Amino acid sequence: MELFLPVLFQASVLLYLVGAIISVLLRKREKINNLSANLFCMAASVLGAAASIAKILWHEGPLGIFEAHSTIPFLSLVMKVDNISAFFLLALFILVFCVSIYSIGYISHYIGRRNVGLFNFLYTTFILTMILVFTSTNAIFFYICWEAMSVFSYFLVVFESEKSENQRAGTLYIIMTHLASAFILVAFLIIYSYTQSFDLYGSSGALPEMSKNIIFLLFLIGFGTKAGLIPLHVWLPHAHPAAPSNVSALMSGIMIKTAIYGMLRFVHCYLGIEQAWWGLLILTLGMISVFLGVAYALMEGNIKRLLAFSSVENIGIILIGLGVCFIAFAHEQVLLGSFALTAALLHTFNHSLFKGGLFLGAGAIQYSTQTKDMEKLGGLSKRIPVTAFFVLCFSLAISAIIPFNGFIGEWLTFQALFANILPGQTGIDILLILAVAALGLAGGLVIACFVKFFGISFLGLPRSEQALQAKEVPLTMNISMGLLACLCLFFGLFPLTILTLVDKVILSIGGSTVLGELRGEFFLLFYPLEIAGNEILPAAILGLVLVMIILTLLLLRMFGGKYIERKYGTWDCGYEALTSRMQYSATGFSKPLQIVFKILFRPSRKLSAEGEALCSSEPIKYTTTFSSIFEDFLYSPAAKAVKSFSKKTAFRIQTGSIHNYLIYILVTVLLLILYNRFF
Amino acid sequence: MFDFLLETLSVLILLSAFALMANKRISSYIRTFRIQSISIALAAGIMGIQSSQAEGRFDFLIVCLLIVALKVVYIPHLLHKTYANVKYKVEKDFILNIPIMIIICCGLVLFSYFALASIEGLGQGLLNLQFVNSVSVIWIGLFFMISRKKAIGQIIGFLVIENGLYIAAMLSTNGMPLVVDLGIFLDMLTAVMIMGLMVFRINDKFDSIDIDKLNHLKG
Repeated sequence: MELFLPVLFQASVLLYLVGAIISVLLRKREKINNLSANLFCMAASVLGAAASIAKILWHEGPLGIFEAHSTIPFLSLVMKVDNISAFFLLALFILVFCVSIYSIGYISHYIGRRNVGLFNFLYTTFILTMILVFTSTNAIFFYICWEAMSVFSYFLVVFESEKSENQRAGTLYIIMTHLASAFILVAFLIIYSYTQSFDLYGSSGALPEMSKNIIFLLFLIGFGTKAGLIPLHVWLPHAHPAAPSNVSALMSGIMIKTAIYGMLRFVHCYLGIEQAWWGLLILTLGMISVFLGVAYALMEGNIKRLLAFSSVENIGIILIGLGVCFIAFAHEQVLLGSFALTAALLHTFNHSLFKGGLFLGAGAIQYSTQTKDMEKLGGLSKRIPVTAFFVLCFSLAISAIIPFNGFIGEWLTFQALFANILPGQTGIDILLILAVAALGLAGGLVIACFVKFFGISFLGLPRSEQALQAKEVPLTMNISMGLLACLCLFFGLFPLTILTLVDKVILSIGGSTVLGELRGEFFLLFYPLEIAGNEILPAAILGLVLVMIILTLLLLRMFGGKYIERKYGTWDCGYEALTSRMQYSATGFSKPLQIVFKILFRPSRKLSAEGEALCSSEPIKYTTTFSSIFEDFLYSPAAKAVKSFSKKTAFRIQTGSIHNYLIYILVTVLLLILYNRFF
Repeated sequence: MFDFLLETLSVLILLSAFALMANKRISSYIRTFRIQSISIALAAGIMGIQSSQAEGRFDFLIVCLLIVALKVVYIPHLLHKTYANVKYKVEKDFILNIPIMIIICCGLVLFSYFALASIEGLGQGLLNLQFVNSVSVIWIGLFFMISRKKAIGQIIGFLVIENGLYIAAMLSTNGMPLVVDLGIFLDMLTAVMIMGLMVFRINDKFDSIDIDKLNHLKG
């Protein structure tokens, strides 16, 4: 095992590399290129996933998989996999496996129109950089991989570069992500200035209290931006819709989770949690993200933007778990902390499955109808029934409906919140109760949101020609979504399989085992989760639901008499036939909630007629818009201020006069000399 | 004896920089620059005699010849030629009046004394007060570039900065390797030739070599 495991990881990384190189070499033969690159990714993912599971189950401590030292100071490539890395790698490999199957079919519509070789090269290297982020042990190397990951994902976001909206989304993304990296870099430099080392596995003992606080804040901003934490989320709803769907599945499924990994690795493992306010801050931001994320998702008419906002909400759930964990660890309640961390990690894993699946589903919709606009969809369940079924599964999973995996993570988060409400910590208790309320409210809104997502897109009548002409998607796309849906169901029914792994991860980073608390009886199938008297057994609930349905049907049969079937025209309100204009529109569906949360969305509406009077038979145009608080009140003013400042100063500082430039040089040199004199 | 001579020469070089600042006409800048270069060549020659007596090295003498050839003969000649070819010859050229500029230069010398006073071992051994004088020449050269409007003033200022750097390096290191010296001369020669060319271009484009007009190029 000791010898075998590193080889597995190395082989996996090597296969990704080979895949990348081959996709460049075979760029002229697009079909073979596409097939081979994705097959390499799939093979690598199988190896990697197996290795990750084996690592968590049977290997203690960090496992070195690659080591190379360079003559450049501090820059050494040492890759190690410990349990946290292995856990995130597992989520990555599972998702990449499914997405790669999907890409075989999905990318086929690029063949002949775009540079498929380039796409596959970027796709493979993007995955590779994420693996490196998870396994690097040196802060400088971590930073380089982190930046490379951002840059490659930027290229993928702007892959369909002729659309101006994609360019704008890409620019916003690269600006935000670089700002965030700057914060992370500053944190690393502060760490270095005290400890004289860039080793991530080192000790932070030399850091004074105050600088730890500052480093925490820097990491929170840096990683929070990548995670899409509100109010740093602005790039996310633009970048995810712009990217090709398989890439947005990876970005939303796993790339934003690298930030969660970063928080765990640097704040939990490296700095060590001493201050309760760290957790409180994360908890509060998580609550805000949960609520606002889903509220904005509800208002969206673009399917991929809706999913992107929903990612913000799910990151919020994960951060609530993480925040509670940090609070508990600061109070040295290791068991409660581990419990909350279990919830966070479990939801991280589950979210990567169902959100990946949902983005793949959105990609399938886009593939078959060429539109992302919900107002133009409808009736797709008749045209792409298999896809519709899988998307329904994912929607159920994300709404935390019982046989699917989304439920377990949210349930555990709730339980962790309840368990952490302890007597004698009034302020924190109130916040925890508020978090419960926020989660509950968000849970309801998520269901509304995905009823809208599924109902408007797949049910009813087609709203446009594109939806009417929807073409069937390739088999591979359905296979990959089916695989993900099965996984969602599997981990929903047998949560103990993944909980065993999470438990090992938490044990390895100084938590205590919670598996004993979540005790159960029998075999996997019959493993109830029990926390403080609250027991739950998803499989049993599913069974019960089935039994109930059958019983109800039987009872109806027994007491309701026989069904009599009559073929008959339905009462149709006097209309000849139903048309698509009679059904709920996406905007109409969310209108009641828009009115309820008026203070948040600040909606405005405008009626305009092309003719003279509103009451004539001329077509009337009704436009409704809503504003997003952060873009309108935070980012736009900031961007405007920077722009006008630069415009003004550009001609003050850059006057074009050589004398001025020479004076700048003289003053700078004199000041530097003076600095040297005094310091 | 040699030290005294070198000290005197470094003061002379500083004085020539002041004199340059007080010059009004372009032709007199070039003359003053020539005098400064002669002083540097003399300093190099003195150091060359010293080192050939003490260690048998003669690379300083080569450097001295090169300085004479380039900075005393060729470059001033080139600048005279450039100046003669430019049509407009409006003479008043500086932005502040001369007494104020001289006072600022005095301030710069004081500043370099103040700023360099913290260097350990200043005034003893190799790193003596000649170093301060040479650094002052650099500042004055930069200030000269700022204070003149015509492009030839900028070329002269650049050359004075170069002279200051060169003399500072020479006096404090007791002679750089010959390869470094040759490299510096080659760079300077290229720079001056390019700048001379640019002056013609500017003159063509704007009918003047007044660099204030260059801000029309701003986009």
